[in-house]
Amino acid sequence: MSQPIPVTVLTGYLGAGKTTLLNRILTESHGKKYAVIINEFGEVGIDNDIVVGTDEEIFEMNNGCICCTVRGDLIRTIGGLMKRADALDGIIVETTGLADPAPVAQTFFTDDEVKAKTQLDAVVTVVDAKHFPLRLEDSREAEDQVAFADVVLLNKTDLVSPADLAAVERRIREINPYARIHRTQKSAIELDKILDKGAFDLQRILALDPHFLHDHGHHHDHDDGHDHDPATCDDPTHDHSHDHHHHHHHDAPNPKHADDVFSVAAVVDGPVDPEKFRVWISGILQSQGQNILRSKGVLAVEGAEQRFVFQAVHMIADSTWGQPWRAGEKRGSKLVFIGRKLDAEALKAGFEACKAA
Amino acid sequence: MSEAKLPARREFAFGAYVSGAAFTADGETAGFALGSGAIKLVTVADSSVREIAAHKGASLSFAAHPDGNSFLSGGDDGRLVRVARDGETSEVAKFQGKWLDVLATHKSGGFACAFGKEIRYWAPGATEPKTLGPHPSSVAALDFSPDGSRLAAAHYGGASIWQIRNPASAPRKLDWKGSHIVVRYAPNGKFLATTTQDNAIHVWRLANGQDMQMAGYRTKVKALAWTADARYLLSDAADCFVCWDFSGKGPEGQPPVEYGFGDGRAMTAAIAHPDSPFVCGGFENGALRLGDMDSKRDLELRPGADDRKPIRAMAWSPDGWRIAAGAEDGYATVFDLKAKS
Repeated sequence: MSQPIPVTVLTGYLGAGKTTLLNRILTESHGKKYAVIINEFGEVGIDNDIVVGTDEEIFEMNNGCICCTVRGDLIRTIGGLMKRADALDGIIVETTGLADPAPVAQTFFTDDEVKAKTQLDAVVTVVDAKHFPLRLEDSREAEDQVAFADVVLLNKTDLVSPADLAAVERRIREINPYARIHRTQKSAIELDKILDKGAFDLQRILALDPHFLHDHGHHHDHDDGHDHDPATCDDPTHDHSHDHHHHHHHDAPNPKHADDVFSVAAVVDGPVDPEKFRVWISGILQSQGQNILRSKGVLAVEGAEQRFVFQAVHMIADSTWGQPWRAGEKRGSKLVFIGRKLDAEALKAGFEACKAA
Repeated sequence: MSEAKLPARREFAFGAYVSGAAFTADGETAGFALGSGAIKLVTVADSSVREIAAHKGASLSFAAHPDGNSFLSGGDDGRLVRVARDGETSEVAKFQGKWLDVLATHKSGGFACAFGKEIRYWAPGATEPKTLGPHPSSVAALDFSPDGSRLAAAHYGGASIWQIRNPASAPRKLDWKGSHIVVRYAPNGKFLATTTQDNAIHVWRLANGQDMQMAGYRTKVKALAWTADARYLLSDAADCFVCWDFSGKGPEGQPPVEYGFGDGRAMTAAIAHPDSPFVCGGFENGALRLGDMDSKRDLELRPGADDRKPIRAMAWSPDGWRIAAGAEDGYATVFDLKAKS
């Protein structure tokens, strides 16, 4: 069987540095063949890669759910790319600056053919360190884009003071403590840090806090959050203290505004009952899917030797079997929700009730 | 149909995704369009193959040219190319930066392609196209009415029917929510069928605009074929022939005719015989089945296998005696239903 082609979704507010990043991908000699789907067709000098221009066409599904939307143009474009004779190493989808990342992500979970041939690898969000606080004030999209991210490029770090940079990073962490953050200038980043990361980033939910089974809820996430080793980093602007983060990343934070995005982590100390989980999670996504932007988890399932890897965008879920558990390894289940108006206690209690008897 | 002997067949390994198949008017040449951008011309009599490099990327749309002696191919290089049976190739048009994945032809000589929200229509004998549109969203499929007077376009929110002799007039709008991806006129011109992203078929009775919805598919329907008598509408996407009966009061409230359950794999391509009540389906495991709508019996032309790839393109020759089929992995075949192997 041929491997599904990894898809990277590239989002970011206008002017954040998306185009600069795309140009890097297209011009760097990486020896890979990528197809890049952009919003507008421009004549770009490309040797090896394929550039496809499309108009974002957001289609509602007829199931009556207003958040079940897909990108019709992507379904067609990917169908066309799959006919080509040359094997692709990856597909990169650029969204417009004001775009809600949900329809593009949902496309990879809902369309049968797209699902069969490709796999959503990561949502990469480029954030302008200088203007992000302003964007948060005047648009919901900027916040959503960070909420959806698996990887955040905190860009234009040279344009802000160390203190402001630390503040922006804290704000990103409040919205989405699970994204991997890379600080960049002019979108300069090694491509292997943003492309073809998928399974790795989902497994990371568990790895994020190796102690979570004993230490419910606290996220010692800072040393995963940077792309450098904090032990050797002497930049005083980087926040390497454990304690500091606890105030911000608690499971039930007090958002500044009633509709701020925050996250909830729910853990079960052991395997879950698959049927109980299925019933519970579909009920949660059905009733609260509009407020849950993303949910993802790595679960131990009773009777299964592999990790169960779950992710959803709003109401639309997808799951696969991941790495097998090692002999003697402690099996735990963790699920995270990123969204608005989440009832942290109810989510945690609901997940706990899925624990295998 | 005798089940004792299978029709004679020729098989080819073309090495790239077979995205289209068609016959010349006399059925003597089969054309296969490939994801490599090549067109393979197969002379059925001696199985000789000629390869034409038509596109830089992939051929995304392919049809018999109305002149009867050539084919039209649209590519992701923006080129619409005419390839004659002798291999002579000419560029009909080039639309820089566009993907030509939608194409329709009519025996009267007209043909049309679409990219983005617009259609380009060539009247019989015309060298320059007329523009129809823009539509509210990208055009996903086109089909000419049987008499060639109208052109139907499927798009988000329904279908638009253009009177092509009067392109300035507003199209008739057939509205139904959702993204419509296939469109097919019934051979009697009385119905227009589309398929939608939500795994359903939608059909309009054109006389009064009444519409009906046919659902129950587990995946989206990507191929529709009407039998020549316009009685049955065959769809792919199920693991058998699913045929909606439009005789009498029509399919509303009636289950479809279902037969030819094979090995539980989904149909990925479907065609109907040009004059008789026969249908043919290609499956995701490479199987090919011929169906008889009168007896509701089927004949396996090619068995499926787990290591075989989905059939993606099929065509019936205009005289009804030959079938061409091609798969994702470059497998292609031409059956001669007259000759027994």
